[in-house]
Amino acid sequence: MIIALPDGSRKEIATESARIEDILRDLGINPVEVIVAKNGRIVPEEEMADSGDELKVVRVVHGG
Amino acid sequence: MLKDAEKSRYSRQIRLFGEEGQEKLKETAVLIAGAGGLGSIVSIYMAAAGFGRIRIVDCDKVELSNLNRQVLHWNDDVGRNKADSALETLCGINPEIEVEALVETISEDSIDRLLHGCDLIMDAMDNFPTRYLLNQAALRKGLPLFHGAISGLQGQATTVVPGNSACLRCIFPRAPPATIFPAIGATCGIIGSIQVTEAVKYVLGKGELLENRLLLWDGLSASMDEVVCERNPGCEACMNINNQS
Repeated sequence: MIIALPDGSRKEIATESARIEDILRDLGINPVEVIVAKNGRIVPEEEMADSGDELKVVRVVHGG
Repeated sequence: MLKDAEKSRYSRQIRLFGEEGQEKLKETAVLIAGAGGLGSIVSIYMAAAGFGRIRIVDCDKVELSNLNRQVLHWNDDVGRNKADSALETLCGINPEIEVEALVETISEDSIDRLLHGCDLIMDAMDNFPTRYLLNQAALRKGLPLFHGAISGLQGQATTVVPGNSACLRCIFPRAPPATIFPAIGATCGIIGSIQVTEAVKYVLGKGELLENRLLLWDGLSASMDEVVCERNPGCEACMNINNQS
């Protein structure tokens, strides 16, 4: 599974299937600060991601 | 009907969308929520483009630390209400339009009054709790909401058309932690300009809006990306809004 992180880096992790929330926790990312797109589509963190999926972690900005 | 002075003022954009398009902008009333970094860009470009009635709302005063990005306000404006400073700048840019600038806090109690007579909502806020209020009001009144947010060299934008697209709650179910965000004027310029472009397209019925798409700007890599979003059938904010498409 390939994960694009908010800092622009990409990481490959070897996992068959995992909850996105757990993946974020393993990466040390606070789910409250991000939204996650799976294969280009925003999904809830409760959703599962499989080995062939590509995740993009987007840090939500709030300033104006 | 456009006056001769208006035809001259808007001649370059009349080449783009005709006098008919310009008249549509002139007939459009907008609420700009916030006169900070995004609100500066949004209001200046909307005023210059000839949106006929602009109501801009901000409860703060201009501080020196605002001036790196809030180009509505100038050095002599430090200490003044942002709304007063905004009124002066916008009327100076385009005396052909009506500008109303209010020193008010956007709240559940004030939002309906602030939106009275407005056709669209520009989100130029600096926090999600107020954005959720704007989102809720947009859904309730069926008005489009043009979202933008920035931090440092990053920014995001999307367009919410109630009943057609994911609302802000569908995309951002929880508010991110409130922090003092880093900000540079150029990032506000990029995101605010996208918001105004979206509003112009919406009014003219041209192009593809940023509905169901969250546009992401990364100034560090000088790249734009987008992710697809869709209505969440269980969204607490919009689940009872009927699909219009």
